[in-house]
Parts: sequence; structure tokens; C-alpha cells
Amino acid sequence: FKDDFSTSPHLFTPVDPYDVELPIQTTEDVSSSQFNQPKELHTDFSSVDLSFLPDVTQDNKEQSLSEEGHETQKEFDGSVPRNEDRVCMDESSLPCPDGTLPSPEGSEVCPPMTPMTPVTPVTPASGSSDIVPQLQNIVSTVNLACRLDLKNIALRARNAEYNPKRFAAVIMRIREPRTTALIFSSGKMVCTGAKSEEQSRLAARKYARVVQKLGFPAKFLDFKIQNMVGSCDVRFTIRLEGLVLTHQQFSSYEPELFPGLIYRMVKPRIVLLIFVSGKVVLTGAKERSEIYEAFENIYPILKGFKKPS
Amino acid sequence: YAQQQLVCAACGCVLAEGLLTTTYTDEEHLREVAYSQSTGQKEQLSRCLQRGIRRVQDLCKVLQLPAVFEETAVSYFQRALQLPAFRLVSLEKKELLGGCCVFVTCRQHNWPLTMGTICSLLYAKQELFASVFLSLQKELGLSVPALSLADLVKTHLSSFQLFQPTPDVPAPFLEDKEKLVARTMGIVELASETWLVTGRHPVPVVTAAAFLAWQSLQPRARLSCPLARFCRVAGVDLPPPAHLRLKELLEILLGMASQLAWLRGFDLDKRTVVKHVGDLLQHRVFLLKNAFCQEGGEEQQDAASGQGSPEEGTPGQDSAGQGSPSSPPVAQEKKSCPLSGKRQREATLRPLLPPCLIHPRKRLRPAAPSTSDPALTGDEPISDSEIEQYLRSPEEIRAFRKAKAW
Repeated sequence: FKDDFSTSPHLFTPVDPYDVELPIQTTEDVSSSQFNQPKELHTDFSSVDLSFLPDVTQDNKEQSLSEEGHETQKEFDGSVPRNEDRVCMDESSLPCPDGTLPSPEGSEVCPPMTPMTPVTPVTPASGSSDIVPQLQNIVSTVNLACRLDLKNIALRARNAEYNPKRFAAVIMRIREPRTTALIFSSGKMVCTGAKSEEQSRLAARKYARVVQKLGFPAKFLDFKIQNMVGSCDVRFTIRLEGLVLTHQQFSSYEPELFPGLIYRMVKPRIVLLIFVSGKVVLTGAKERSEIYEAFENIYPILKGFKKPS
Repeated sequence: YAQQQLVCAACGCVLAEGLLTTTYTDEEHLREVAYSQSTGQKEQLSRCLQRGIRRVQDLCKVLQLPAVFEETAVSYFQRALQLPAFRLVSLEKKELLGGCCVFVTCRQHNWPLTMGTICSLLYAKQELFASVFLSLQKELGLSVPALSLADLVKTHLSSFQLFQPTPDVPAPFLEDKEKLVARTMGIVELASETWLVTGRHPVPVVTAAAFLAWQSLQPRARLSCPLARFCRVAGVDLPPPAHLRLKELLEILLGMASQLAWLRGFDLDKRTVVKHVGDLLQHRVFLLKNAFCQEGGEEQQDAASGQGSPEEGTPGQDSAGQGSPSSPPVAQEKKSCPLSGKRQREATLRPLLPPCLIHPRKRLRPAAPSTSDPALTGDEPISDSEIEQYLRSPEEIRAFRKAKAW
């Protein structure tokens, strides 16, 4: 399957998406740095229309939140640990001041700013996963903005491979961060193999410096993360035959072609490879939040197939 | 476009040229001309499309598919070729596209056609076929139901030449088709329940199951016959994974046999267990529950899972950690088995898991040191010395120039 480079629409727009540096820590920090604190804290819900609440689907959430015009958060800010009931978090735009886990019903733990919780019973706290997908590969591109003599580069750089008959680019590698770059004569460059956005950016800068030191007027324009790949293990076996039956419109399971099930999630636009062992690969993300969101979406679905039929 | 000619039957010489006919004339003379053969249709379709449609029709005829399949496949093909994703692809891909349309149609009608068959008919590389198939599914938004294993068993066994006495087939090989199909079906279902089918190529499973079934129906005469010979006599291909599937099936059967009261006395091995396949299949529900370590109740942390009673084991989840498994699943399973009277016995049995979890091949690579650096911003200063390590010294360059005559 091809990597999809199209941008998926953001569910929530942070103020400055490209200025944010995401530390590679637990996800609570990720969410805190990625999104700003809400500017307004609503205490009065009398004007809020809660009639949409019973069905907690992704679409409804989006709809309802855009109706409200909140600048709501996808995840809590850093005060609340991430591994709590996700539904509660998603509905709420408010941090819990004492930092304890709100119960699914929410109201008793978070005083006066009651989070908006669905009225229908939700899966209990243990229903959400404690599992966090690990990023395995980041693909990024950057424009060095000058024409390059690939033969020259291959001659004068130690870490370069160039075989024009096979591929029209120099393949360069550096040890730290351990990555590979494809450098084209147009000056465009692709950097792969990094395990985080920062690593990818640092690596790309190092490649640009190598090219600079070889005497080319390389710049560093339009650095962009094109694809992110994550993986994790749900620790239970999955009946792929069953999953493809109930989620036919999103799944493709062809054991003759590939042992895993290919699940094309619509929101966020992520492709998941689901294997019988319970290992899941997520790809197609432009931001790491999409990986986490996709996994949180698929986990309850997979749990439904935990037992053999 | 049609000419009537009088031709001598002996020497082939044309005696009289006929009239140039038109549809009207032919119909007057009561000869039906199909629209697809008149110039009318040809004018509307491009040559490429015509060729493709013909290919699809030929494929359907070769596979002896019902007429309605042909119409569906042709319509898919026409729709697909109009889309930008397929209009400009190579001719090779367009041929595969026709095959894909036939394949999808078959699957939608639960006609058990495998990709392997279509690929061999088209002389196609399976990877290319796979990519065209996946694109077709995506572009046309087609839902392709899963291959029905039961149907596959029936069709695959039909190609085995074991049911009619022929000079090539020795008498001990002959078998009753109904019996063989029924028993093979039972073994395939068992394989499916014990995680031997999910994620694997279906045909080797069926081949291995058919072999086991055939052996078990007359074990005395047939136990000495190896799988390869069986396939040769039956006139079917022996797919390479079939040996492994056979081994896995025998392992499952041996495990189950250890739970059958009247077999416990015997010291069964993978050959002798074949004699008892009938009994094992008959009692398989009970045997599977007892023969393999089941998932205990205490591991079900989430009430929301809904399905109450523990069934055929899934790996223990008592430790909530993620990332690398700290201990192999078997050891974990032993610890987490329920505290019932059967605990002793279960401690020595293996869990019912897919083989990829029982024999994990991949060793987890320790994460690179920089991966877990939390403070990385991507804007760190880059030292000159670090970059210079990647540049060749002037002597090296000279040496390279000489060597490669650049």
C-alpha cells in the first residue's frame, strides 16, 4: 500500500503548530506542549445544548465541539495523566485542578468545572488502554534550494552511495541520529529512520551541513514531516476474520497477500496493520497525535475480538 | 463486415464473392448479430477498452463462471478504466486489472477463486496483482468478502484425482469424495479454531488437512505415504507451507489426544495419532478446552469485555506494561493460569496461541540511546568535527579518483 502524503484535517488547531517542540516523554507532556491552555474556563453550562450527548461518536464530538466554538482540547493538559478514561477527557475542555483521575461520570471528582460527560454508560476506566504506540520511523523532506552535483558528493563524502543506474539520488547515512537521507540533484532531500520529529529535524540539518561543507550553498527550507510510523502491542490475539466481517468498509484482510489486516481509518486518516499476534502498526500520520488518536480508536474495536468466536 | 462466400471444400478456392451485408440485411435474413459484434459498439469504445473487455470475457469462460459474473466483471472493468488511477497505467497493469475485476466478482458471489489461480492464469507477479487489487478495492469502494474456507475446501478437493479409479491411481489411494470432504472440513475448522489459519495462505492449510483426512480414513494402508507422494498421485501442487501446516496440525492433535481418556494409555506420536483423528474431531470442543492452557478469570480486568466465560486461551494480560514483552508468553501463561484443580496439568500445557507467538522469531532490538532523549529540540548546535567525520580527506579523494577514474 502506498504511503499517503495528503494532509489530514486537524481536529483541533493549536495556536502555533509548527513552533511546538514535542519532548519525547510520556504523552501527558506531549499533550501539554502541543496544545495551549484553554483561554476560557466555562463554569456555567446553562446555555450549553447537551442534547447531542448520548451518542459518543467521533463525528458527534467534532460536530458538537465545532458548534460550541470551543477551543477544546483533544487531551488534557499535563495536570491529568493520560491513561484515564478517554471519553471523559475528550468531552471535557477543562483540566482537573487536583490532578486526580476523574471517574467516568466525572462530576464528583472535578469540582465546580464539571466536565461534559456523556449520559450513556461508558466503558470504565480500565477499558481505555494503558498502551502508548511507540514511534518507529519518521519521514521528512527539506529543500536545500541549490542544484547539487551528485557525483561530486559521492566522491567526497564517506557516508554516501550513488548508483545512478539504479536510483537517481545519493544515499547518505549518519550515525547519530541513526538515519538515511536521499539527496537529489534538484536540491531536495528526504530523511528517513528517525524516531521522533526532533531527531528527524536534527538529522536533516546535519545532512544539510555535510552538503554545505562539500561546498554547496545549501539552505534549509520547507522542512516538513511527511509520514510517521508507530507500533504497539495490545497483548492479546485477534480474530482477523471476524474483524474484517464487522468492519468491512474499512478493512482489507487478504491472507493470500499479507498476513495482517489493513484497516483504513477515516478519522484520523491513518492506515493500521493489525496482526493476529496483537501487534499493530500505524502509519500515514503527519502529527504524532494522529497515531495516538488512531490507536485509541482501534483499541476498543480490537478488544471486541479478544476472544475467539 | 460480413461476407458470404462460396468456397470449394476440397481446394479452398473462392468460387463466388458474397454480398456486403448490413445489420438490416442480416436481420431480414433472420441472422442475429449481437450488438457487441456490430460496429456500433466498437465505435463507442476505445481499442484498449475493447481488448480489456475481451480479456475479462475470456477469463470468465476459462473459469467456467456463470454469465452474470461476466457482466459484473465487465462493468467493474469499464468503471475502473475511466478513473484516473487506472487510465494511464501500463498495459501490463491493465491486463491485471481485468483479472482483478473477475476475482472481485467471484469473491462477491462467494465463488472460491484464489489469487494464486488468477495470477497463474494471467502469468502475473503476485505483488503487482496485489497492488492492483488493493487499488481497485479502494478506488471503486468495493467490499470484497473474505474467502470462504469451507467453499475453498470443496473446490480444492474437486481437483484431487482420488475419487475415480484410473490407471495412475493405485487402489489404496482411492477415497470416497463425501467422506474426504467432510473430514477435511472438520480438520480445517479445527485449524481455524487453533489459530493455524489466521494470517496464513489458505491453500496449504487445505492441502495439509486433506492429506491428514485421507490418511486417517484408512490409516493402516496410508500412514507410510508421505505428503509429497500423496500430492503427486492426486495430481495437485504441493505448496511449500503445507509441510509446516501439517506439522502444526499434528502437534495440536497430539495435544488433544493427551486428554482423551481411552488414549492416555497409548504413547502416541505424530504418526499414530492419525488413526484417532475421527474421535478427536468428534470431541474437539471438550478436548481443546482441556488440552491447552486457558485464560483465567483474574486476567479479565475489564468487565466491559462482555464475554464472560474463558474460552480458548488468549495470552495472559496480568501485567499492564507495554513495549517489549519481559518474559516469553509461555512463562507468563503458566503464572497466570487459574487456580483450579487442573492447575498442575495446565502448568505443563502450552497456551492456545498463534504459532507466531509461541515461537517468536524476532528478537527485540534495544532502542537506540538517542531515541529516549527527552530534551531533544532538533535545533541543537552541530559541531564541525561531527560533520567532518563524514568527509573524505584529500588523500582519500585522490585514491578514489585514481581507482574509479572519475
